[in-house]
Amino acid sequence: MRAVVYREIGRVEVAEVPDPLIEDPADAIVRVSLSAICGSDLHFFHGKAPLEPGETIGHEAVGIVEAVGPRVERFAPGDRVVVSFVIACGACWFCRNGQTQLCDDFRNLGAGIFGGSLGGAQAELVRVPAADFNLLRVPEGVEDERALFVGDILTTGVYAAGIAGIRAGDTVAVVGAGPVGFFAIQAARAVGAGQVLALDLEPGRLALAEGVGAVPIDVSQRNAQTAVDERTEGRGADVVIDAVGSAPAFERALDVARRGGTVVVVGMYTSETVQAQVGVWWTRAVTLLFAGICPVHAWWERAMEAVGAGQVDPTSIVSHRLRLEDAPLGYELFDTHRATKVLLRP
Amino acid sequence: MALFPSDEWISLFRDLINGSKEYAEAGKTWEGDIAFVFEAEPDHGVPQDLVAWLDLRHGVCHGARMVEAQEGDRAEYAIRAPYSRWREVVLGDLDPVKGMMQGKLKVRGDLPNIVRHVRAANELVHLTTLVPTEFMGTR
Repeated sequence: MRAVVYREIGRVEVAEVPDPLIEDPADAIVRVSLSAICGSDLHFFHGKAPLEPGETIGHEAVGIVEAVGPRVERFAPGDRVVVSFVIACGACWFCRNGQTQLCDDFRNLGAGIFGGSLGGAQAELVRVPAADFNLLRVPEGVEDERALFVGDILTTGVYAAGIAGIRAGDTVAVVGAGPVGFFAIQAARAVGAGQVLALDLEPGRLALAEGVGAVPIDVSQRNAQTAVDERTEGRGADVVIDAVGSAPAFERALDVARRGGTVVVVGMYTSETVQAQVGVWWTRAVTLLFAGICPVHAWWERAMEAVGAGQVDPTSIVSHRLRLEDAPLGYELFDTHRATKVLLRP
Repeated sequence: MALFPSDEWISLFRDLINGSKEYAEAGKTWEGDIAFVFEAEPDHGVPQDLVAWLDLRHGVCHGARMVEAQEGDRAEYAIRAPYSRWREVVLGDLDPVKGMMQGKLKVRGDLPNIVRHVRAANELVHLTTLVPTEFMGTR
Protein backbone atom coordinates (compact mmCIF):
# COMPACT_ATOMS: atom_id res chain seq x y z
CA MET A 1 0.00 0.00 0.00
CA ARG A 2 0.95 3.66 -0.24
CA ALA A 3 1.65 5.53 2.97
CA VAL A 4 3.33 8.67 4.23
CA VAL A 5 6.65 7.80 5.82
CA TYR A 6 9.10 9.84 7.83
CA ARG A 7 12.40 10.13 5.99
CA GLU A 8 14.50 12.62 7.95
CA ILE A 9 14.03 15.81 9.94
CA GLY A 10 11.89 18.14 7.85
CA ARG A 11 11.13 15.53 5.17
CA VAL A 12 8.36 13.01 4.64
CA GLU A 13 7.60 11.09 1.47
CA VAL A 14 4.95 8.75 0.13
CA ALA A 15 6.27 5.22 -0.26
CA GLU A 16 5.20 1.64 -0.82
CA VAL A 17 5.00 -0.24 2.50
CA PRO A 18 3.59 -3.68 3.44
CA ASP A 19 -0.17 -3.86 3.99
CA PRO A 20 -1.10 -4.11 7.67
CA LEU A 21 -2.44 -7.48 8.83
CA ILE A 22 -4.70 -8.61 11.64
CA GLU A 23 -2.17 -9.29 14.40
CA ASP A 24 -4.54 -9.70 17.33
CA PRO A 25 -8.07 -11.14 17.38
CA ALA A 26 -9.41 -7.72 18.49
CA ASP A 27 -7.84 -5.85 15.55
CA ALA A 28 -9.58 -4.30 12.57
CA ILE A 29 -8.11 -3.12 9.31
CA VAL A 30 -9.61 0.13 8.05
CA ARG A 31 -9.36 1.32 4.45
CA VAL A 32 -8.74 5.05 4.91
CA SER A 33 -11.05 7.39 2.99
CA LEU A 34 -9.62 10.57 4.42
CA SER A 35 -6.84 11.49 6.80
CA ALA A 36 -5.31 14.76 7.96
CA ILE A 37 -2.07 16.32 9.11
CA CYS A 38 -2.20 17.24 12.78
CA GLY A 39 -0.07 19.69 14.74
CA SER A 40 1.37 16.81 16.72
CA ASP A 41 2.62 15.19 13.49
CA LEU A 42 4.94 18.16 13.25
CA HIS A 43 6.70 17.07 16.44
CA PHE A 44 7.84 14.00 14.52
CA PHE A 45 8.43 15.99 11.34
CA HIS A 46 10.85 18.19 13.28
CA GLY A 47 12.50 15.29 15.07
CA LYS A 48 11.31 16.44 18.50
CA ALA A 49 9.77 13.00 18.99
CA PRO A 50 11.46 9.90 17.61
CA LEU A 51 10.42 8.21 14.35
CA GLU A 52 12.76 5.92 12.47
CA PRO A 53 13.25 6.63 8.76
CA GLY A 54 10.62 4.66 6.86
CA GLU A 55 8.11 4.54 9.73
CA THR A 56 4.56 5.58 8.87
CA ILE A 57 2.91 8.62 10.42
CA GLY A 58 -0.52 10.15 11.11
CA HIS A 59 -3.38 9.39 13.47
CA GLU A 60 -6.51 11.12 12.12
CA ALA A 61 -8.56 8.92 9.83
CA VAL A 62 -12.03 8.07 8.68
CA GLY A 63 -12.69 5.08 6.46
CA ILE A 64 -14.37 1.75 5.79
CA VAL A 65 -13.73 -1.39 7.81
CA GLU A 66 -11.90 -3.81 5.51
CA ALA A 67 -11.36 -6.78 7.81
CA VAL A 68 -11.88 -7.68 11.47
CA GLY A 69 -10.35 -10.19 13.83
CA PRO A 70 -12.49 -12.95 15.41
CA ARG A 71 -12.97 -11.05 18.70
CA VAL A 72 -14.36 -7.90 17.09
CA GLU A 73 -18.11 -7.82 17.82
CA ARG A 74 -19.33 -4.30 17.11
CA PHE A 75 -17.97 -3.81 13.61
CA ALA A 76 -17.96 -5.69 10.32
CA PRO A 77 -16.42 -5.11 6.91
CA GLY A 78 -18.19 -2.26 5.13
CA ASP A 79 -18.89 -0.18 8.24
CA ARG A 80 -17.93 3.49 7.96
CA VAL A 81 -15.89 4.51 10.98
CA VAL A 82 -13.69 7.16 12.50
CA VAL A 83 -10.54 6.16 14.37
CA SER A 84 -9.57 7.42 17.81
CA PHE A 85 -6.14 9.04 17.97
CA VAL A 86 -5.80 7.56 21.47
CA ILE A 87 -5.50 3.80 21.11
CA ALA A 88 -6.64 2.42 24.46
CA CYS A 89 -7.16 -1.12 25.69
CA GLY A 90 -10.76 -0.57 26.78
CA ALA A 91 -10.37 -2.98 29.68
CA CYS A 92 -8.16 -1.42 32.37
CA TRP A 93 -9.47 0.57 35.34
CA PHE A 94 -8.84 3.91 33.64
CA CYS A 95 -10.61 2.89 30.43
CA ARG A 96 -13.57 1.54 32.36
CA ASN A 97 -13.77 4.88 34.18
CA GLY A 98 -13.65 7.07 31.10
CA GLN A 99 -10.06 8.20 31.44
CA THR A 100 -8.79 6.44 28.36
CA GLN A 101 -5.90 8.85 27.91
CA LEU A 102 -4.49 7.32 31.09
CA CYS A 103 -4.90 3.74 29.83
CA ASP A 104 -2.42 1.19 31.18
CA ASP A 105 -1.61 0.34 27.55
CA PHE A 106 -1.90 3.82 26.04
CA ARG A 107 -0.80 3.95 22.41
CA ASN A 108 -1.03 6.28 19.39
CA LEU A 109 -1.19 5.56 15.70
CA GLY A 110 1.80 6.70 13.67
CA ALA A 111 3.91 7.78 16.61
CA GLY A 112 6.76 5.27 16.33
CA ILE A 113 8.11 3.71 19.49
CA PHE A 114 6.59 6.60 21.45
CA GLY A 115 3.11 5.38 20.49
CA GLY A 116 3.65 1.66 20.71
CA SER A 117 5.01 1.20 17.17
CA LEU A 118 1.58 1.21 15.51
CA GLY A 119 1.30 2.10 11.84
CA GLY A 120 0.23 5.57 10.74
CA ALA A 121 -3.16 6.67 9.42
CA GLN A 122 -1.84 8.75 6.52
CA ALA A 123 -2.02 5.60 4.45
CA GLU A 124 -4.38 3.52 2.37
CA LEU A 125 -4.88 1.03 5.21
CA VAL A 126 -4.43 1.20 8.95
CA ARG A 127 -4.54 -1.46 11.65
CA VAL A 128 -6.63 -0.49 14.68
CA PRO A 129 -6.11 -2.54 17.86
CA ALA A 130 -9.03 -3.14 20.25
CA ALA A 131 -11.27 -2.11 17.38
CA ASP A 132 -14.52 -2.41 19.33
CA PHE A 133 -13.22 0.34 21.58
CA ASN A 134 -11.15 2.51 19.24
CA LEU A 135 -13.59 2.89 16.35
CA LEU A 136 -16.79 4.92 16.22
CA ARG A 137 -19.47 4.36 13.64
CA VAL A 138 -20.14 7.43 11.46
CA PRO A 139 -23.87 8.15 11.13
CA GLU A 140 -25.44 8.50 7.73
CA GLY A 141 -25.60 12.10 6.67
CA VAL A 142 -22.29 13.00 8.28
CA GLU A 143 -19.73 13.26 5.49
CA ASP A 144 -16.15 12.07 5.91
CA GLU A 145 -14.87 15.62 6.16
CA ARG A 146 -17.19 16.43 9.07
CA ALA A 147 -16.55 13.11 10.82
CA LEU A 148 -12.77 13.00 10.53
CA PHE A 149 -11.84 15.29 13.40
CA VAL A 150 -14.17 13.55 15.86
CA GLY A 151 -11.29 11.13 16.37
CA ASP A 152 -9.01 13.90 17.62
CA ILE A 153 -9.06 17.70 17.69
CA LEU A 154 -12.80 18.27 17.39
CA THR A 155 -13.51 16.05 20.36
CA THR A 156 -10.60 17.64 22.21
CA GLY A 157 -12.36 21.00 21.86
CA VAL A 158 -15.66 19.48 23.01
CA TYR A 159 -13.85 17.89 25.96
CA ALA A 160 -12.21 21.18 26.98
CA ALA A 161 -15.54 23.00 26.97
CA GLY A 162 -17.28 20.04 28.55
CA ILE A 163 -15.11 19.82 31.66
CA ALA A 164 -15.08 23.59 32.16
CA GLY A 165 -18.47 23.72 33.85
CA ILE A 166 -19.74 26.45 31.55
CA ARG A 167 -23.07 27.91 32.69
CA ALA A 168 -25.62 29.64 30.51
CA GLY A 169 -24.47 33.17 29.78
CA ASP A 170 -20.88 32.68 30.92
CA THR A 171 -18.07 34.56 29.25
CA VAL A 172 -15.54 32.07 27.92
CA ALA A 173 -12.10 33.19 26.77
CA VAL A 174 -10.25 30.80 24.49
CA VAL A 175 -6.51 31.47 24.46
CA GLY A 176 -5.25 30.29 21.08
CA ALA A 177 -7.56 30.01 18.09
CA GLY A 178 -5.73 27.14 16.41
CA PRO A 179 -7.60 23.93 15.57
CA VAL A 180 -8.37 22.91 19.17
CA GLY A 181 -9.32 26.46 20.09
CA PHE A 182 -11.52 26.66 16.99
CA PHE A 183 -13.48 23.63 18.14
CA ALA A 184 -13.52 24.71 21.78
CA ILE A 185 -15.16 27.98 20.71
CA GLN A 186 -17.97 26.14 18.95
CA ALA A 187 -18.38 23.66 21.78
CA ALA A 188 -18.55 26.46 24.36
CA ARG A 189 -21.28 28.14 22.38
CA ALA A 190 -23.11 24.84 22.04
CA VAL A 191 -23.24 24.40 25.83
CA GLY A 192 -24.63 27.89 26.41
CA ALA A 193 -21.76 30.34 26.75
CA GLY A 194 -22.95 33.94 26.52
CA GLN A 195 -19.96 35.34 24.72
CA VAL A 196 -16.81 33.57 23.59
CA LEU A 197 -13.65 35.64 23.25
CA ALA A 198 -10.90 34.31 20.98
CA LEU A 199 -7.38 35.51 21.86
CA ASP A 200 -4.73 35.03 19.22
CA LEU A 201 -2.26 37.03 17.17
CA GLU A 202 -2.73 35.45 13.74
CA PRO A 203 -5.32 37.32 11.67
CA GLY A 204 -6.30 34.18 9.75
CA ARG A 205 -7.08 32.25 12.90
CA LEU A 206 -8.99 35.17 14.37
CA ALA A 207 -11.08 35.41 11.21
CA LEU A 208 -11.93 31.70 11.45
CA ALA A 209 -12.85 32.13 15.11
CA GLU A 210 -15.06 35.09 14.29
CA GLY A 211 -16.69 33.01 11.58
CA VAL A 212 -17.90 30.51 14.18
CA GLY A 213 -19.23 33.16 16.55
CA ALA A 214 -16.31 34.28 18.70
CA VAL A 215 -15.31 37.86 19.42
CA PRO A 216 -11.76 38.13 18.03
CA ILE A 217 -9.11 39.79 20.19
CA ASP A 218 -5.77 40.39 18.50
CA VAL A 219 -3.28 40.19 21.35
CA SER A 220 -0.56 41.71 19.19
CA GLN A 221 -2.61 44.90 19.22
CA ARG A 222 -4.45 44.69 22.51
CA ASN A 223 -3.49 43.78 26.05
CA ALA A 224 -5.39 40.56 26.69
CA GLN A 225 -6.29 41.34 30.29
CA THR A 226 -7.57 44.80 29.50
CA ALA A 227 -9.53 43.60 26.48
CA VAL A 228 -11.25 40.83 28.44
CA ASP A 229 -11.93 43.15 31.37
CA GLU A 230 -13.64 45.60 29.06
CA ARG A 231 -16.08 42.90 28.00
CA THR A 232 -16.76 41.61 31.50
CA GLU A 233 -17.33 44.77 33.53
CA GLY A 234 -13.78 44.52 34.82
CA ARG A 235 -14.15 41.01 36.28
CA GLY A 236 -12.42 38.78 33.78
CA ALA A 237 -13.74 35.67 32.05
CA ASP A 238 -15.80 33.08 33.91
CA VAL A 239 -14.04 30.28 32.06
CA VAL A 240 -10.74 30.33 30.21
CA ILE A 241 -9.51 27.58 27.92
CA ASP A 242 -5.77 27.50 27.24
CA ALA A 243 -5.57 25.85 23.83
CA VAL A 244 -1.94 26.73 23.16
CA GLY A 245 0.49 24.95 25.45
CA SER A 246 3.19 27.52 26.20
CA ALA A 247 4.23 29.27 29.39
CA PRO A 248 3.11 32.73 28.17
CA ALA A 249 -0.26 31.31 27.14
CA PHE A 250 -0.70 29.65 30.53
CA GLU A 251 0.04 32.91 32.30
CA ARG A 252 -2.25 34.80 29.95
CA ALA A 253 -5.04 32.32 30.67
CA LEU A 254 -4.70 32.95 34.40
CA ASP A 255 -4.49 36.70 33.84
CA VAL A 256 -7.81 36.90 32.04
CA ALA A 257 -9.80 34.66 34.39
CA ARG A 258 -12.03 36.31 36.94
CA ARG A 259 -11.73 35.64 40.66
CA GLY A 260 -13.48 32.31 41.26
CA GLY A 261 -13.19 31.46 37.58
CA THR A 262 -12.07 28.25 35.93
CA VAL A 263 -9.02 27.73 33.74
CA VAL A 264 -8.93 24.59 31.61
CA VAL A 265 -5.48 23.74 30.29
CA VAL A 266 -5.94 21.63 27.19
CA GLY A 267 -2.89 22.88 25.24
CA MET A 268 -0.06 20.37 25.36
CA TYR A 269 2.80 20.94 27.79
CA THR A 270 6.07 19.09 28.16
CA SER A 271 8.93 20.73 30.09
CA GLU A 272 7.74 24.33 30.40
CA THR A 273 8.10 26.10 33.74
CA VAL A 274 6.29 29.11 35.15
CA GLN A 275 6.94 31.17 38.22
CA ALA A 276 3.77 31.74 40.17
CA GLN A 277 2.49 33.08 43.46
CA VAL A 278 0.40 30.08 44.45
CA GLY A 279 -1.12 32.14 47.24
CA VAL A 280 -2.54 34.52 44.67
CA TRP A 281 -4.23 31.65 42.85
CA TRP A 282 -5.52 30.44 46.20
CA THR A 283 -6.81 33.86 47.17
CA ARG A 284 -8.45 34.24 43.77
CA ALA A 285 -10.09 30.81 44.26
CA VAL A 286 -9.22 29.88 40.71
CA THR A 287 -10.11 26.38 39.60
CA LEU A 288 -7.23 25.09 37.51
CA LEU A 289 -7.99 21.99 35.46
CA PHE A 290 -5.20 20.20 33.62
CA ALA A 291 -7.09 18.40 30.90
CA GLY A 292 -4.23 16.24 29.68
CA ILE A 293 -4.71 14.36 26.45
CA CYS A 294 -8.37 14.09 25.47
CA PRO A 295 -10.03 10.82 26.51
CA VAL A 296 -11.67 10.65 23.11
CA HIS A 297 -13.75 7.56 23.81
CA ALA A 298 -15.61 9.23 26.67
CA TRP A 299 -16.54 12.24 24.59
CA TRP A 300 -16.73 11.30 20.94
CA GLU A 301 -20.34 10.18 20.85
CA ARG A 302 -21.58 13.56 22.09
CA ALA A 303 -19.07 15.24 19.75
CA MET A 304 -20.47 13.30 16.80
CA GLU A 305 -23.99 14.30 17.88
CA ALA A 306 -22.92 17.95 17.93
CA VAL A 307 -21.49 17.56 14.44
CA GLY A 308 -24.63 15.85 13.21
CA ALA A 309 -26.75 18.64 14.69
CA GLY A 310 -24.58 21.30 13.06
CA GLN A 311 -23.52 22.74 16.43
CA VAL A 312 -19.87 22.06 15.63
CA ASP A 313 -18.77 22.40 12.04
CA PRO A 314 -15.17 21.67 11.04
CA THR A 315 -15.36 22.55 7.40
CA SER A 316 -14.18 26.16 7.55
CA ILE A 317 -10.86 25.21 9.15
CA VAL A 318 -9.91 22.96 6.23
CA SER A 319 -7.73 25.04 3.94
CA HIS A 320 -6.26 22.31 1.72
CA ARG A 321 -7.61 19.07 0.30
CA LEU A 322 -4.76 17.08 -1.24
CA ARG A 323 -4.11 13.61 -2.61
CA LEU A 324 -2.13 11.33 -0.32
CA GLU A 325 0.66 11.48 -2.88
CA ASP A 326 0.92 15.23 -2.23
CA ALA A 327 1.54 14.79 1.50
CA PRO A 328 5.04 16.34 1.38
CA LEU A 329 3.49 19.54 0.04
CA GLY A 330 0.82 19.35 2.74
CA TYR A 331 3.45 19.12 5.46
CA GLU A 332 5.30 22.09 4.00
CA LEU A 333 2.13 24.19 3.83
CA PHE A 334 1.06 23.24 7.35
CA ASP A 335 4.51 23.68 8.84
CA THR A 336 4.89 27.16 7.39
CA HIS A 337 1.43 28.27 8.57
CA ARG A 338 0.16 28.62 5.02
CA ALA A 339 -2.49 26.00 5.77
CA THR A 340 -4.87 25.84 8.71
CA LYS A 341 -5.70 22.17 8.18
CA VAL A 342 -4.64 19.79 5.43
CA LEU A 343 -6.68 16.76 4.37
CA LEU A 344 -5.13 13.81 2.54
CA ARG A 345 -7.24 11.52 0.39
CA PRO A 346 -5.65 8.17 -0.57
CA MET B 1 3.38 67.78 33.78
CA ALA B 2 5.55 64.68 33.52
CA LEU B 3 4.70 61.74 31.29
CA PHE B 4 3.95 58.56 33.24
CA PRO B 5 6.26 56.66 33.24
CA SER B 6 9.42 58.50 32.17
CA ASP B 7 12.75 59.43 33.69
CA GLU B 8 11.30 62.85 34.47
CA TRP B 9 8.31 61.35 36.25
CA ILE B 10 10.43 58.83 38.16
CA SER B 11 12.82 61.56 39.24
CA LEU B 12 9.98 63.67 40.65
CA PHE B 13 8.61 60.59 42.38
CA ARG B 14 12.02 59.80 43.94
CA ASP B 15 12.25 63.34 45.33
CA LEU B 16 8.81 63.00 46.88
CA ILE B 17 9.75 59.64 48.44
CA ASN B 18 12.92 61.04 49.96
CA GLY B 19 11.02 64.03 51.31
CA SER B 20 8.35 61.92 52.98
CA LYS B 21 8.68 61.32 56.73
CA GLU B 22 5.77 58.89 56.50
CA TYR B 23 7.57 56.74 53.94
CA ALA B 24 10.88 56.95 55.85
CA GLU B 25 9.10 55.45 58.86
CA ALA B 26 6.89 52.93 57.05
CA GLY B 27 9.67 51.72 54.77
CA LYS B 28 12.54 51.60 57.26
CA THR B 29 12.65 47.79 57.29
CA TRP B 30 12.19 47.40 53.53
CA GLU B 31 15.15 46.16 51.51
CA GLY B 32 15.07 45.40 47.84
CA ASP B 33 14.93 47.01 44.44
CA ILE B 34 11.67 46.86 42.51
CA ALA B 35 10.96 46.81 38.79
CA PHE B 36 7.57 48.18 37.81
CA VAL B 37 6.57 46.72 34.47
CA PHE B 38 4.00 48.60 32.41
CA GLU B 39 2.67 46.12 29.88
CA ALA B 40 2.07 47.31 26.35
CA GLU B 41 -1.39 48.39 25.26
CA PRO B 42 -0.95 49.49 21.64
CA ASP B 43 -4.56 50.56 21.39
CA HIS B 44 -4.06 52.88 24.40
CA GLY B 45 -0.91 54.55 23.12
CA VAL B 46 1.57 52.21 24.81
CA PRO B 47 3.22 50.31 21.96
CA GLN B 48 5.71 48.29 24.05
CA ASP B 49 6.42 47.21 27.59
CA LEU B 50 8.08 49.86 29.76
CA VAL B 51 10.04 49.23 32.94
CA ALA B 52 10.76 51.61 35.80
CA TRP B 53 13.28 50.67 38.47
CA LEU B 54 13.44 51.90 42.06
CA ASP B 55 16.12 51.00 44.60
CA LEU B 56 14.35 51.28 47.95
CA ARG B 57 16.21 50.51 51.15
CA HIS B 58 15.55 51.51 54.76
CA GLY B 59 13.03 54.19 53.91
CA VAL B 60 15.18 55.88 51.27
CA CYS B 61 15.08 55.76 47.49
CA HIS B 62 18.71 55.34 46.42
CA GLY B 63 18.09 55.26 42.69
CA ALA B 64 15.25 55.51 40.22
CA ARG B 65 15.15 55.41 36.45
CA MET B 66 13.60 53.82 33.40
CA VAL B 67 15.48 50.63 32.44
CA GLU B 68 15.56 47.96 29.75
CA ALA B 69 13.54 44.80 30.33
CA GLN B 70 16.63 42.67 31.06
CA GLU B 71 17.74 45.02 33.82
CA GLY B 72 14.25 44.89 35.25
CA ASP B 73 14.47 41.10 35.28
CA ARG B 74 17.40 41.33 37.69
CA ALA B 75 15.48 43.30 40.31
CA GLU B 76 14.64 41.49 43.53
CA TYR B 77 10.97 42.32 43.09
CA ALA B 78 8.94 42.94 39.98
CA ILE B 79 5.35 44.09 39.80
CA ARG B 80 3.69 44.00 36.40
CA ALA B 81 0.33 44.95 35.00
CA PRO B 82 -1.18 46.46 31.87
CA TYR B 83 -0.51 50.18 31.64
CA SER B 84 -4.15 51.08 32.26
CA ARG B 85 -4.07 49.16 35.54
CA TRP B 86 -1.15 51.28 36.71
CA ARG B 87 -3.11 54.34 35.75
CA GLU B 88 -5.90 53.11 38.06
CA VAL B 89 -3.32 52.78 40.84
CA VAL B 90 -1.95 56.30 40.33
CA LEU B 91 -5.45 57.73 40.17
CA GLY B 92 -6.29 55.98 43.45
CA ASP B 93 -8.90 53.72 41.85
CA LEU B 94 -7.09 50.47 42.64
CA ASP B 95 -5.58 49.54 46.00
CA PRO B 96 -2.22 48.03 45.01
CA VAL B 97 -2.02 45.40 47.75
CA LYS B 98 -5.56 44.27 47.02
CA GLY B 99 -4.64 44.31 43.34
CA MET B 100 -1.69 42.04 44.03
CA MET B 101 -3.79 39.58 45.99
CA GLN B 102 -6.38 39.53 43.22
CA GLY B 103 -3.80 38.99 40.52
CA LYS B 104 -4.50 42.35 38.89
CA LEU B 105 -0.92 43.32 39.64
CA LYS B 106 1.42 40.37 39.27
CA VAL B 107 4.29 40.10 41.69
CA ARG B 108 7.62 38.34 41.38
CA GLY B 109 9.39 38.19 44.72
CA ASP B 110 8.35 37.71 48.32
CA LEU B 111 4.68 38.72 48.31
CA PRO B 112 4.21 38.30 52.11
CA ASN B 113 7.07 40.76 52.64
CA ILE B 114 5.27 43.29 50.47
CA VAL B 115 2.04 42.70 52.35
CA ARG B 116 3.89 43.22 55.64
CA HIS B 117 4.93 46.62 54.32
CA VAL B 118 1.43 47.65 53.33
CA ARG B 119 1.81 51.08 54.96
CA ALA B 120 4.91 51.77 52.92
CA ALA B 121 3.14 50.63 49.74
CA ASN B 122 0.17 52.83 50.46
CA GLU B 123 2.43 55.81 51.11
CA LEU B 124 4.20 55.20 47.79
CA VAL B 125 0.85 55.19 46.04
CA HIS B 126 -0.17 58.35 47.86
CA LEU B 127 3.05 60.02 46.69
CA THR B 128 2.36 59.10 43.07
CA THR B 129 -0.79 61.16 43.25
CA LEU B 130 1.32 64.22 44.10
CA VAL B 131 3.39 64.00 40.90
CA PRO B 132 1.96 66.26 38.19
CA THR B 133 1.15 63.44 35.78
CA GLU B 134 0.25 63.15 32.16
CA PHE B 135 -0.76 59.67 30.99
CA MET B 136 0.32 58.08 27.71
CA GLY B 137 -2.28 57.98 25.00
CA THR B 138 -3.90 61.19 26.21
CA ARG B 139 -1.69 63.68 24.38
